[in-house]
Amino acid sequence: MNLITTVLKSCAIVVHGLVLVTCVQNVPAPVEPTIPLVGSVNLDLATVTPSELLLLDIGVRIFETALEEETNPGYGGLEFATIRENETQYLPYVLRNTLIDANQWGAVRVLPQDDPSMDLLLSGTVLRSDGQELQIHIKVQDSSGREWLNKKYADLTLEEDFPISTRYTPGNRFEPESFTEPFQDLYNQINNDLVAVRAQLSDQNLRDIALVSQMAYAADLSPDSFAHTLKADANGYISLVSLPANNDPMMARVQDMRVRHHLFIDTVDEYYQALYEDMQPSYVIWRRYSYDQIAQDEAATREAYDISRYSSSSGYLTLIQRYDRFRWSKIYEVEFSELATGFNREIAPAILELNKQVHGLSGTMEEQYIQWRRILRQLFTLETGRP
Amino acid sequence: MVIFIFCLAGESIAQDDLPLLDLDTPVRLNFSGSWEKDFTRSDNWEDELNRVMRMRQEQAAAQVAGIRPLSRPRVSIGNINLNSSRSRSNFVNLARVAEYISRQTTMEIIQNRNEVRVERKGEAPLICGMETGPTPTFSSPHGSEFCGWNRLQLIFEITLPEQLYITHQFSVSANGSSLQLITSIQNGDGIPFNLRQTYNKYEAPPEEYNCIQTISRGRVCSQRTPLD
Repeated sequence: MNLITTVLKSCAIVVHGLVLVTCVQNVPAPVEPTIPLVGSVNLDLATVTPSELLLLDIGVRIFETALEEETNPGYGGLEFATIRENETQYLPYVLRNTLIDANQWGAVRVLPQDDPSMDLLLSGTVLRSDGQELQIHIKVQDSSGREWLNKKYADLTLEEDFPISTRYTPGNRFEPESFTEPFQDLYNQINNDLVAVRAQLSDQNLRDIALVSQMAYAADLSPDSFAHTLKADANGYISLVSLPANNDPMMARVQDMRVRHHLFIDTVDEYYQALYEDMQPSYVIWRRYSYDQIAQDEAATREAYDISRYSSSSGYLTLIQRYDRFRWSKIYEVEFSELATGFNREIAPAILELNKQVHGLSGTMEEQYIQWRRILRQLFTLETGRP
Repeated sequence: MVIFIFCLAGESIAQDDLPLLDLDTPVRLNFSGSWEKDFTRSDNWEDELNRVMRMRQEQAAAQVAGIRPLSRPRVSIGNINLNSSRSRSNFVNLARVAEYISRQTTMEIIQNRNEVRVERKGEAPLICGMETGPTPTFSSPHGSEFCGWNRLQLIFEITLPEQLYITHQFSVSANGSSLQLITSIQNGDGIPFNLRQTYNKYEAPPEEYNCIQTISRGRVCSQRTPLD
């Protein structure tokens, strides 16, 4: 062959392109260093509520994704990209739940943006996410700029991580109460690492974190009044220069604003909770399909390179078998892509709900959040007469 | 005065709201519709096999006798010696596979400005964009698929392990009422077997149900309403 060379004889560039594609496929991909798996991890749970000093407020930013296009060309590229986007709003909520379950922290909220009123800000980038493996790059900084975590986490699932309720059968409904997140070990490890970092800090360090976040919020509201209370060194670490008096009326207003702000971000967090709850049944089943798909691909790869299966290369049944293997692998791929469409279709109302107009604010959740902070600043200026 | 006319002309051009021709997306013939096989105008695989074998045998015999028309390429006896029972059997197998691959009697083609999608029962759809290509459309450990356009023809080329090649060439008549599909299958660098099939457009009855794939409820169907 190549028949295409005769058929497309008027398209020399086309055939040349085909050769190029073949060549590109032969170039070995750069080998990324493997991220160590977290293994089996028990959550570091506080049985007694820790002292007030240890209860730092955590803001979990919606994740970013480093994943771009699917490796398999042609089918469902856009659908898979949409799933990636939705995952970035779902996975932080799983982490948020884990941190709350650990009973080691103050308020833990999912946020669309960085928030100056938080003691700890956690951000994540999804490096890989499918039914078999989850890899996330987690970065955590406290309000003074100290880096708590900058680490890549990876976890693998097993067949038993997907109970029978995660497989669709008519009448078999998903039961969220009895379901355990397949990658729970990964989230447990993040919590445990945070607890370990906190344990190394002195009481004064922890007190400073809370004070800096308080003043950082004040400076964000009214830079003219409070920016001078903080200073950043050459490394970006922020420390307190001075503190307003306890009975400072401006500071009382800032505290009042901060409470209002936290009420707002609690509402934002509730929206993410609603999204999480709406998305969970479909997402879990989707992951189950993804797990099955990967297992099938791996089996296919093992089969494909078993040369004995292709030894009698011109027998009718061998030729048919060869074609049917290809045909079924493509049918599975298309079905998987259709499931992706089904998944996106099912969670679309929840995403719309998250982004719809609330309280006179408009735009996406992120835009509403920015608008809200602007409104608070304006309100503060009006009340105090200070810019 | 000249400037005034020029300005008027400019204004009339600006007001012209005709859609701009998108030169980046080539215009392709319309393959869309429901198609059914026209058996009277399609190859029967056994007849085609016999025809090719007879033709090759005649050529080979003429070659042995030293008779070779100038216009025809020399037949490589070593390559397509159909007198050898093994080669004959291989070629018969290719013909049977071609028949198996193109067994569907109907197909549905959906086409828009961006892609064409060929739906056949029991097969994954053949989907191709409008670019000339070749464009990779599918790849798995069991084979890969490319598609592309050769002027008016839509072509899919499938490469299976051990150098088994399958090509589908679609072309549609100028009036859009008939479609020709040539399925070609080749093993290694042997001669390909081509099966030509003709399809006629027909009015498929409207689907009774609207079905969508959901992830938690499986395939969900609802009865179509006149407004659907």
